Amino acid sequence: MIRFTTGVVLVLATAAPLTAQDLLAKAAPQTGPIILTNATIHTVSKGIVLGGTIWFDKGKIQAVLANGEEPKLPRGLPAPVRIDLGGKHVFPGMISPHTQLGLIEIGMVPQSVDTNELGEMSPEAIAMTAVNPDSAAIPVARANGVLAATVFPIGGLIPGRASIMQLDGWTNAEMAVRVNAGPVVTWPAARSRRFRPAPTPPTEDKGRHAEQRQQIDDAFTAAKAWSNARTVDTKVPLDIRHAALVPAIRGEVPVFVLANTVEQIESAIRWGVSRKLRIIIVGGHESRGCTALLSQHQVPVIIDGVHRLPRRDDVGYDEAFTLPHDLRKAGVKFCIGTGSDYSNDRNLPYHAATAAAYGLSEQEAFAAITKDTAEILGVGDRLGSLDVGKDATLFIADGHPFELTSKIEMAFIQGRKIDLRTKQSELAKKYRERYRQIRGK
Amino acid sequence: MRIGKLVVLATLVASTIAQGPPHNGPRPVHPGWYALQNATVIPEPGEELTRATIVMRHGRITSIENGVAAPKGATVIDCTGLTIYPGLIEPFFASDVPALDEDMTDKHWNAMVQPQRNALDGALVGEKERKELRALGFTVVAAAPSGGILKGSSTIILLDEPTDTDKARVLNPTAFPVASLQTNRGGYPNSEMGAIALLRQSLADGQWYTRCQSAVARDASLKANAPQASRVLAAISGQSAKPLWFDTTNELQSLRCLKVAKEFRRKAVIVGSGMEFRRLAAIANSGAPFIVPLQLPETPDVSTAAKADRVSLRQLQSWEQAPTNSKRLLDAGVTIAWTTTRLRKRSDFTARVRDAKEQGVTSAQALAAVTTTPAKLLGIDKDCGTIAVGKLANLVVVEGSLFGKERIVRDVWVGGRRHVVAKAKDVGLDGSWTLASGWPGDGSNGMPIVTIDGKKITCKLGDDEIKVGSSKRDSDSFTCQLKGKATKDHTFWLRLHRDKNGLTGVCTQSDGRAFVITATRAAKQDDSNKEDDDKEEKEETSKLAIEASLPTPLGGYGFAEMPSQRDFAIVGGTLWTGDGRGKLRSGAVYVRRGKIAFSGPSNDMPELPQGTVVVDAKGKHITAGIIDCHSHTGISRGVNESGQAVTSEVRIQDVVNPDDVNWYRQLAGGVTAVNQLHGSANVIGGQSNTVKVRWGVLNPEEMMLVGSAPGIKFALGENPRRVNRRSSANTRYPNTRMGVEGVLRDRFAAAEAYAQELAAYQKLSPRERAKVLPPRVDLELEALAEVLASRRRIHCHSYRQDEIFMLCGLANEYGIKIGTFQHVLEGYKVADAIKQSAIGASSFSDWWAYKFEVYDAIPDNGAILHEYGVNVSFNSDSSEHARRLNTEAGKAVKYGGVAEHEALHFVTRNPAIQLGIFAHTGSLTRGKDADIALWSSNPLRYAARCEATWVDGRMMFSLERDAELRKGIQTERQRLLQLALDKGGKGSGRTAKEGDPRDAYWAAEETHIDYCCRTAVGGR
Repeated sequence: MIRFTTGVVLVLATAAPLTAQDLLAKAAPQTGPIILTNATIHTVSKGIVLGGTIWFDKGKIQAVLANGEEPKLPRGLPAPVRIDLGGKHVFPGMISPHTQLGLIEIGMVPQSVDTNELGEMSPEAIAMTAVNPDSAAIPVARANGVLAATVFPIGGLIPGRASIMQLDGWTNAEMAVRVNAGPVVTWPAARSRRFRPAPTPPTEDKGRHAEQRQQIDDAFTAAKAWSNARTVDTKVPLDIRHAALVPAIRGEVPVFVLANTVEQIESAIRWGVSRKLRIIIVGGHESRGCTALLSQHQVPVIIDGVHRLPRRDDVGYDEAFTLPHDLRKAGVKFCIGTGSDYSNDRNLPYHAATAAAYGLSEQEAFAAITKDTAEILGVGDRLGSLDVGKDATLFIADGHPFELTSKIEMAFIQGRKIDLRTKQSELAKKYRERYRQIRGK
Repeated sequence: MRIGKLVVLATLVASTIAQGPPHNGPRPVHPGWYALQNATVIPEPGEELTRATIVMRHGRITSIENGVAAPKGATVIDCTGLTIYPGLIEPFFASDVPALDEDMTDKHWNAMVQPQRNALDGALVGEKERKELRALGFTVVAAAPSGGILKGSSTIILLDEPTDTDKARVLNPTAFPVASLQTNRGGYPNSEMGAIALLRQSLADGQWYTRCQSAVARDASLKANAPQASRVLAAISGQSAKPLWFDTTNELQSLRCLKVAKEFRRKAVIVGSGMEFRRLAAIANSGAPFIVPLQLPETPDVSTAAKADRVSLRQLQSWEQAPTNSKRLLDAGVTIAWTTTRLRKRSDFTARVRDAKEQGVTSAQALAAVTTTPAKLLGIDKDCGTIAVGKLANLVVVEGSLFGKERIVRDVWVGGRRHVVAKAKDVGLDGSWTLASGWPGDGSNGMPIVTIDGKKITCKLGDDEIKVGSSKRDSDSFTCQLKGKATKDHTFWLRLHRDKNGLTGVCTQSDGRAFVITATRAAKQDDSNKEDDDKEEKEETSKLAIEASLPTPLGGYGFAEMPSQRDFAIVGGTLWTGDGRGKLRSGAVYVRRGKIAFSGPSNDMPELPQGTVVVDAKGKHITAGIIDCHSHTGISRGVNESGQAVTSEVRIQDVVNPDDVNWYRQLAGGVTAVNQLHGSANVIGGQSNTVKVRWGVLNPEEMMLVGSAPGIKFALGENPRRVNRRSSANTRYPNTRMGVEGVLRDRFAAAEAYAQELAAYQKLSPRERAKVLPPRVDLELEALAEVLASRRRIHCHSYRQDEIFMLCGLANEYGIKIGTFQHVLEGYKVADAIKQSAIGASSFSDWWAYKFEVYDAIPDNGAILHEYGVNVSFNSDSSEHARRLNTEAGKAVKYGGVAEHEALHFVTRNPAIQLGIFAHTGSLTRGKDADIALWSSNPLRYAARCEATWVDGRMMFSLERDAELRKGIQTERQRLLQLALDKGGKGSGRTAKEGDPRDAYWAAEETHIDYCCRTAVGGR
């Protein structure tokens, strides 16, 4: 049981009417220190603290304390809110590393799908711009402890740039953790994603793939040339497409390369290495076959979903389930996603849980959706673990989030207490009321 | 001589052209009287005559005897050194026949049904193919019309050249009706089950037509209401006594066709794919003869590591084992005939026969497969198939043995007409010749020897070389100049030509004197070629060269033999009884002969008989096998028959695919029973099929769960409205939820009327029945009549509350109970209606937002319905998800707080009730089938792994066996990949086409269907 002893009750109590979450107010900024005591703290970075205390203020974690240690609050702070968690668990918010959350409302309604810019090359498109802060899918993901996500545009060879968003904010700017997380490259495939038994992959595609890979490379060459020229001569006009690629060329942001097959991954690494880009493989279905190259060049992988069927009839039924473990053994850095499944981002912990059932330790698997994710995305200073100085983006649960039966009871994003209600929870309430009325008759 | 005694047999059936044009000039006369002498004759498989004489006249064989003289008057053809075989018979040659005229009124509503067509009206066999076939020794062809489901009749013809008067000499103009399961993309049927349904309905219509005709014959007054004369139905009806020939694309399809034939008590002949060995037992069991193509798969492309990685073990095995197909079929007692059909290069036929022989097919079996067997199957064995007096003079004259590597087909005699394929090899002049009489030069040291080797001519006298100049030769003469010691250094001109005894000619000296000269063959060198050929023949084997007992299904995870039902007990684990007793902390189950003999606390277990296997389940959990109430796993070639808005005539049970490896994967997730559903593309879909996951059965039908409630798929909302199709606007009724209701109402009314009509007829006494017309069997309405009679459960794809409410109302009106609402994502809004009108609700745990009608879906759906008292199950709708239904059930605990053991009921007990199989399975209750899953921990916990799965008390999966199998797969893959590498496997650059029988080996029925009804259009 969670007991509140509050100085400022109003800040935390949700007084909103029973409406769908997308009609609800966003969380108010943290106005005073919050102290969670008697907690099982899963720091991810430094193990588990039993009966510990964690407190945060101004959106940042101030201390993680062992059992018996009292927080030393500086003078002059408003009265803190203390919450006794009764042994319940505190975890850093989970991060969905590859999704279209906020860009798609309803998959089959084109008007509500805002993911594909025209043409093959649109690096200027930046996901954050189109993320709808009032999407009903955002609270749904959040209610299960997924508190941040990397939103990707899709379509074409360079669909645009991904943005890392925290899942609360009045505007998409408020939601953005990193507006430009890096450009996205769809690495031309040697075969279609869907396996079709065939004696050979279609030969006519070989030439096209080479050509497409060249087009991608040319885009980076052109951007670099433009950047060099503009550095010297500021009168060189702005080219927003070229400009969009410059931070990646300079190594300031990574390049997300969508690649699943061995051929794709290998050639993508060769390309990235030759261009001195920091690439991240997104997808990585066959990354087990390229661990040597991946670890040699320290290329991380965003595993796109653990719940997948095996690639071939005779490989083990658990091929996808054991992939994270095999990457770990081979020394490849990775994190786990849901397979770009915007409406099912809430199931992120279950993908990691399966990896834990099939080889990874529970801690390793949980790191693969928190700390490792944050580090791969370049936001390890703010998200991914419960360490002093990081964002107070965390949630409280009655058990491990891997367990299907665990319930997420409370969540904070940058210290702001999140309303965990959703369109779905409110619909459930609304219709339970219907049956109450029926029974009442 | 015997010939005198013979009555000249009836001439061949006249051609299509009854009377030819008048001759332009005197009529030509061909006596057609021949004697082939001195040949080795193989009159039929296993027999041999040496130095025999075959006499033929008027197209037929009049005598065949050893060493007799040819009759006077016959043209004698010397066949010394040659072997004569009966002419080969091609039993199936797909032939283009023009489609029936669009404007024709008397035709079937569906263009796939054209039984009144006849191959005779088409191209028969083209000139190029005639030549190709004759070059292989073929003399008779059964041409079958191609295209369609009921394609029309085949025509058996002699493989002759057309004459001025005859397009072909015809043995049987309307031989056999030919059928296939061809589909029609964009029309009806567009699925294999749809094709079967159309075939079935058409055959039934034929029967009905026959019965109506005889009713009218009995009582002319019935004519007024009888079906009007129809060439389509008359054709089906008229062919009904003949065997049906099915042109099939793979071994499972062959079995499906045989099933339909059996339903109509029709004999069938199957034109197969060459992959029959993969389902050998079932095929042998059917007793049907097979026309087996000899096409072999290409060597898999293993040129790069990545490509090799993509080739599955099943494909590799299929590739390696394909040459053994005929041998395995013969050993299993299947009657087989071979065909050149499906060969990419027809001329490869002989080489493929040799491949089969290398695997142990004997020469006699091989010959039978192209002569006597096809003759019997085609019903022409009185005329063809062997060399015998009175039969047609269809002969193949071969140098070497018929299928030998170096053999040369010299002549093919077709109905007494000679077709020269190859002339005698031009070896007449080659060799060494000793000049004999007349040599004008020096002969004191013996005579010069001239050696001819092709164009090269050399000459020697003893050891002395004689220079040869200006030499020229053709097939039987040569000229040259000689100069050397033996010519006293003069130049001699030599010109010689062949005659009976050697060479004769003239030698002219430079002074102009000429001498007649002869030459005889010098001592012969051995003729090695021919002997090799014979040797090959002698080393004949009758054993399989690639010996391997093949697992079922072929591939990595099949069984050499189904696991036995030996008695066992699982003791000491947490027992989730599923039958109202809840969870038992330390429980046990004892299984005897596949049934649960005890289920309860370990302490109460009766003493086990000696030798009972005991599984220690301490710390583990035992549950009933998982049941998936909505699956599209293991459905061949089309989950949807979307060609019409109503397709209740199609049956999933017709297209069960027992080879889908997803069955095995689901066993690894504890799944033991599955409801295979039709897709959701139409308002009334096909009949569903409930199976046990009996991976490894020999016959596909054995998967069916006998005793389950028959089901049918309905679909409401966006999918049947077809509003999410991006390709084109919907032009098919219905376009709204209002229209969906309209379709249902109309069909229910029609089915009601149909049922009444049938019932009225059935009430009549046999005598009264004879006085009326029989009612027409309508398979579509028959299924719906079963629904209205509560003998078939509706499983209805549904999302929104309004549509759910609509169907509930309609069901109430008709006094029927709906089986399940499937998906039923807004079921939580109308739990009361569902509770009243349906047996249950089968939902996803938490899917939503993928299309507009699921925007209000909530994960509490299951819990709310459950709270209200609705029987709820969670299903997969996905071959992937199906493996994790235990944790999906856990979500009912998370969202809505369902008790743990009740949450597990969502994937065991409740779906069993919904499918009407709870008497057999779905709980660990004494007397039920031993369908059990053993889990490493609480199955709702993420860390729980299924350790073993039993179906009917057979252990179908265990982690130990799985680990062993994987090791075996590794070894076997390595061996086969190396074999492919050694054979230079580069592939052909061709992409395999699904449904192309030549790719049966690749397309291999490997289907991966996922999220069928979750998609916006209800599947493909």
